[in-house]
Amino acid sequence: MRKKLEGNGLWESSRMMLPEHKAAIIRHTESLKRRERVQLDEQEWEHVSRAVSESLQRRQPITVRLFHPMELLTVIGIVDRVDELKGRFMVDGEWFPIADIEGAALEESL
Amino acid sequence: MKHARERVVMLADCQSFYASVEKAEHPEYKDRPLAVAGDPKRRSGIILAACPIAKEHGVTTAERLGDALAKCPELIIVQPRMALYIDVSLIITRIYQCYTDLVEPYSIDEQFLDVTGSLRLYGSPEELAALIQARILAETGVYTRFGIGPNKILAKTACDNYAKKNDTGLFVLTPDKLADTLWTLPVSKMFMAGSRMTRHFGAMGIETIGQLAATPLDKLKTLMRRKFGRNSDINAELYWRIANGIDDSPVTPGTHEAAPQTIGHMMTLPRDYATLEEIKTVLLELTELVCQRCRSKGYMGHVVSVACMGADFDRPTGFSRQMKMDDPTNVTNQAYRAAVQLLQRHWDGLPVRKVGVSLSGFAADDEYQLSLFDQNREKWMALERATDAIKQKYGDASILRAVSATEAGQALDRSKKIGGHYK
Repeated sequence: MRKKLEGNGLWESSRMMLPEHKAAIIRHTESLKRRERVQLDEQEWEHVSRAVSESLQRRQPITVRLFHPMELLTVIGIVDRVDELKGRFMVDGEWFPIADIEGAALEESL
Repeated sequence: MKHARERVVMLADCQSFYASVEKAEHPEYKDRPLAVAGDPKRRSGIILAACPIAKEHGVTTAERLGDALAKCPELIIVQPRMALYIDVSLIITRIYQCYTDLVEPYSIDEQFLDVTGSLRLYGSPEELAALIQARILAETGVYTRFGIGPNKILAKTACDNYAKKNDTGLFVLTPDKLADTLWTLPVSKMFMAGSRMTRHFGAMGIETIGQLAATPLDKLKTLMRRKFGRNSDINAELYWRIANGIDDSPVTPGTHEAAPQTIGHMMTLPRDYATLEEIKTVLLELTELVCQRCRSKGYMGHVVSVACMGADFDRPTGFSRQMKMDDPTNVTNQAYRAAVQLLQRHWDGLPVRKVGVSLSGFAADDEYQLSLFDQNREKWMALERATDAIKQKYGDASILRAVSATEAGQALDRSKKIGGHYK
């Protein structure tokens, strides 16, 4: 009962929403959050490949930003392998697609 | 500390929403009286929405179809298309979202907008509202009215009492205007005050919203405690705040994503059901729907509630009871077993017009308690995964239980509807 006086309580307790309408709103909100792929230009690719090879050769921790339709996805770790033929790279034993890379930076070593 | 900038909140309301959408879809009916009405063959045959021309002829919302036709024989009756109305409502939401990201749908035809941050780009609140109003009319054919105020309650109040009645469809209500506007109105015009509450206020000597607003809160609490007992303090404060236009609730766009506390379905039957077998049939169908929705959201419910309402409106009968099951579940057969127990224990044997089932006390369904007595659970879960997938793909009517084919079954009919009206 107390909740009626707090936050959005008055309006949440009094509204009339069809479940189907609610579901449609949630689907719409989700679609707004959907992210577009970022296109990298040549210079950015060069930066990424330099960071990746640095990590691979000198066992430096790296932060790679990857594309995900709904959320911000970053992979942090050391690049173990790069498989150009299959277009993927491995960080700490897990494979990720190279095509999904949106950016990369070496962790600042202390 | 710098004083926070005053908010500007709008409540935008669509005029005769269903009827306006139908008129936009049928330009040939533009200048004729039109009403959207439930199925004339069933008890739900009432006017859901009437266009302004029909209203001029005296047609009112919620009256019986026959009564409306008696007043206005040339009335064009259109069957509802709920899915279309939901689509149009979302188109309107998207238009509002072009002007502010703070949009909160309050019902299918009312939405809150917080435009505080947008006014820098669009000028005064009235100018912005007029701009949105014109755009929605052009794009959807729906006329919108805007109540504008520094918070949600004043926006809602401004819309219901003034914007809906003036020529521009816009009204700004600020606290300094309350004494000349809202406070002169009778209590019955106040948001959340129904006919019963209005009567109670009358008995307390409170006739206008201004009198309610001027009553000290402590005194109002004492007055209401005398009528409703000690638990009425919160309602007293609620009414007092509404009367004074005090409301700090934010416009919350994500409000519909919050996890629900209960999932339930209720339906009015096409005729009164008088035998246990018949009531059990709809009970099973409703339980199936409720469990299906829980499964799609990944919840299991611990508490089942069943409500039945008697057929005689003048002598209300029926019950609404709940019980805790041994373990949380979203398996239809398990929830149904508990629902039938409730029905058998509490049904008084009188004809029933309305049945409802709901599940609450949710837990996530990724792990569950093994039971010695329910050896079939794994099997049922596999079966329901399959039937849910079929329904998802081909519609709710694609696969049904055999009882739904009996005369009492409603699932087939219900699958064609949203909110009790045709899709």
